[in-house]
Amino acid sequence: MSTQYGFSFDSEKCIQCHGCQAACKSWREVEILVNWRRLENIWHGDYPNVTCFSASLACMHCADPPCVEACPEEAIEKRVEDGIVVVDRDKCTGCRACLEACPFDVPQFGRDDKMQKCDLCVNEIDLGRMEQPPCVETCPTGTLRVVRMSRPEKIAAEESMKKLLNIR
Amino acid sequence: MTDGKGMSQWMIDRRSFLKTTGAGILGSSVLRATPFLSFTRDEAEAAAKEGKETVIPTFCDMCGPSQRCGVYAFVKDGRFIKVAGMKEAPTSQGALCAKGHSAPQWVYSRDRLKVPLKRVGEKGEGKFEKITWDEAIGTIASRLKEQKEKHGPETLAILSPAYRTYYPYFLRFLAAHGSPNYCHSGICAMQMMFTFSYTYGINASPEFDKSDLIVYWGSQPIYAGPPLQNAKSFIKAKGRGTKIIAIKPSVEADSGMADIWVPVRPGTDAALALGMIHVVVNEDLIDETFVNQWCYGYDQLKKHIQKYPPEWAEKVSGVPEKQIREVARMYATTKKACISIGNGLEHAHASNDSIRAVCILIAITGHLDREGGNVFPTMGGGGIRTNSLQVKSAHMQEMVDKLIAPEFPRALQPFMFGSHAAYYGALESILTEKPYLLRTVIAPGTQPLVSTRQPKKVVEALKKLDFFVVVDVARTADMDYADVVIPVATSYEIDHPFEGGGISGGGWLMARNRVIEPVGSPKSIFEFFLDLGVAMGYGGQFWNGSIKECMNYQLEPMKMTIDDLRKHPTGIRSEENPKPRYEKYESVFKTPSPRLSGAPYLPQGKVAIYNTTFEKAGFNPLPEWREPPESITGTPELTKRYPLILSDYHTSKVYTSSMQRNVPNLREVIPFPLLHIHPDTASERGIKNDDWIIVESPHGWMKVKAEIYPGIRPDTVMILHGWWQGCKELGFGDFPLFDGGANVNIMYSVDPEKAFDPIITAYASQTLVQVKKAVAT
Repeated sequence: MSTQYGFSFDSEKCIQCHGCQAACKSWREVEILVNWRRLENIWHGDYPNVTCFSASLACMHCADPPCVEACPEEAIEKRVEDGIVVVDRDKCTGCRACLEACPFDVPQFGRDDKMQKCDLCVNEIDLGRMEQPPCVETCPTGTLRVVRMSRPEKIAAEESMKKLLNIR
Repeated sequence: MTDGKGMSQWMIDRRSFLKTTGAGILGSSVLRATPFLSFTRDEAEAAAKEGKETVIPTFCDMCGPSQRCGVYAFVKDGRFIKVAGMKEAPTSQGALCAKGHSAPQWVYSRDRLKVPLKRVGEKGEGKFEKITWDEAIGTIASRLKEQKEKHGPETLAILSPAYRTYYPYFLRFLAAHGSPNYCHSGICAMQMMFTFSYTYGINASPEFDKSDLIVYWGSQPIYAGPPLQNAKSFIKAKGRGTKIIAIKPSVEADSGMADIWVPVRPGTDAALALGMIHVVVNEDLIDETFVNQWCYGYDQLKKHIQKYPPEWAEKVSGVPEKQIREVARMYATTKKACISIGNGLEHAHASNDSIRAVCILIAITGHLDREGGNVFPTMGGGGIRTNSLQVKSAHMQEMVDKLIAPEFPRALQPFMFGSHAAYYGALESILTEKPYLLRTVIAPGTQPLVSTRQPKKVVEALKKLDFFVVVDVARTADMDYADVVIPVATSYEIDHPFEGGGISGGGWLMARNRVIEPVGSPKSIFEFFLDLGVAMGYGGQFWNGSIKECMNYQLEPMKMTIDDLRKHPTGIRSEENPKPRYEKYESVFKTPSPRLSGAPYLPQGKVAIYNTTFEKAGFNPLPEWREPPESITGTPELTKRYPLILSDYHTSKVYTSSMQRNVPNLREVIPFPLLHIHPDTASERGIKNDDWIIVESPHGWMKVKAEIYPGIRPDTVMILHGWWQGCKELGFGDFPLFDGGANVNIMYSVDPEKAFDPIITAYASQTLVQVKKAVAT
């Protein structure tokens, strides 16, 4: 895996329109009350010197995904060829060890109580027709992209999202 | 302020992006390098083919007074399933927001109205019976004919929700019927248009893309206005280093990204603007040449403004005197600086004063119709021209005289749409029967119990009203009081009207295409007014009920028919916009007003700093400060019981006005009515994030949730307006419409002496409240 897929996100440009979140739900037919992508508003400073930024967040497809380590059923895998983290839902028992492990609070559990999350539209990639996923395509300001990145770049992206979300 | 660069995310520039993608397993041709665009028609067709879907180019219908986004709607097995942005649309250029993507859930909502209904129970009881379209139209027509005969045509009023594509049909119907009562909401755009017109002769828009300093004053560049264009201008401006100042009581995603936040108390913008004028005048930061040549009444202003020093403005507005000076100087001394005035200034008891004061500030500092400032439109070019549906007969003295409750003083009417009535005033007149009794109110796409002030009064009016017709897509807050309910088709279910580039035409024209067969048997709002026109005997003015003939009439100047236009699936584009010309003072300042005398807006042919037209009509010639019905400085005796200021947000990232709480994907983003409250203010009251709280004003109370919100003035709390509707799909019930619910309109004063702007009937959107934790029940 010389390079792997990942999201790049530029908080300077995010206007918090939630288009990415809604596009994901609609185009991937995600069930109600489950969100593979979410938006967060992050505050800085104290009144009156307050600013805020937005983070659009889905599975980071981490360089070293803690969820893969944590899953007792070995249901989660980081694909060797492109670094996409996928879930084998037949194996998942809904124990939520992945949710405990994930620093970004990404794993979701819907009606079937099995883990689901952003798979980076992996089917489209495997069929060779991936352009950019709906969340990226719909963004009015170009703040979100899917790119291929090296391992150090991927780690930097994770760290930067952690810093933005104030996750230690 | 936090260092923005420190927060900047891991960004890659375009070159390295191309390099990385090129090295990818899929090759550079697959991961597209063009950012933020969606489908062209060919791409949409290809995507649909893969999924065995069909794709239809049309317009989004989820918000928007004008300038709609182009979309591709995807249909599978006869069902509307998803939406993509249309790259060819000059308005949206392929982008689409959360509302746009959620359209199928709105169309198939369990709250949809599907067939015409008539009320069979008591008012408010909610008992209805299905009726046929013939019966529905017939019932309304016979009632209107009878009332016209017995009581006069003016006893009909139509409530106008907003500057939407369908408003000309209301105007046309009212003109045919002989009623002047087009009841404008009094909170949006028209208030600004009126004040700008009587100060400059025309509106002057901020030229964002050329400005070095943008002041967003009570305006929301992200969720308001034409679809995402303002947001793009905002991001572009930030990118090129433009300084951004946000003047508003709380920080949202946009003003959180501004360079300077001026946290003004709700409803006190006039005081702040007067304080800024004081600085500019007394420090001689004016454009003397412009003032001498093109302004009328500067000397009177200079004298008048001495009443309003920044120290005084600080007391009223809560903005530190130092910041008032700093911002006034920065604006006055930046050559290319513009001000974007938003609804925040219109929703105030002193709306006209604040907008006039800002207009004066723009003019005397030399930012009017100059590059990067606030500019008048450059005429010419365009090439898209259509016939208006408005008729001249609306512009008659008799109509102005018969107005039930004038939106603007009779002496200053007709205005743009002919005779303008005030939405709230018209409803209140049902209780007072002054100057006469309204007999029928039609509410198309608007909900008087949540869209205007004091629902406790409005409901009494609806109970008393002889005949009330609700015309809407989904269940409304007031329909239980309606005599007839008309189900409206969403624009995904109809093939009309054509739109594009704004109501007036602009540079793009596209036919609307039907995406799916209607759910149930709704008709469009357009068809409803055409059918009703025919049933009333006004068929000659309504193309005998043919919407196609109506559109062909509109398209005559283009020398094409709707069928011709439909041959261009993504519409036609005009020649490029004319190159902007500046300093068009000579011609613009002579603009004739729509009054019957045809007198120009500006009698002196100059910017009306001292407004002799207003003076003659009995109003203040210069902007002044008046205290709102309740405020910290105006009614200090109330602050013991009600120590906080309450106001509301007009726009939302996921909802349009009081609509769409029934759309699950949107409701998930903001599930509850949230009162923004500063952490210190909350902790003093033992309130934590997500707690249910009681908010009480002298006029009513709400039970809502608290959102601990660092970006708001500690003396102020704010909430989004329009909450009542539940979401059946998510198991959420409705909120009460009156006390104990989440309807912010319950909270405000409707004191005729204090709550309304005396010239433009805008109303106070702030009051004083106490907030406490709700006791668990």
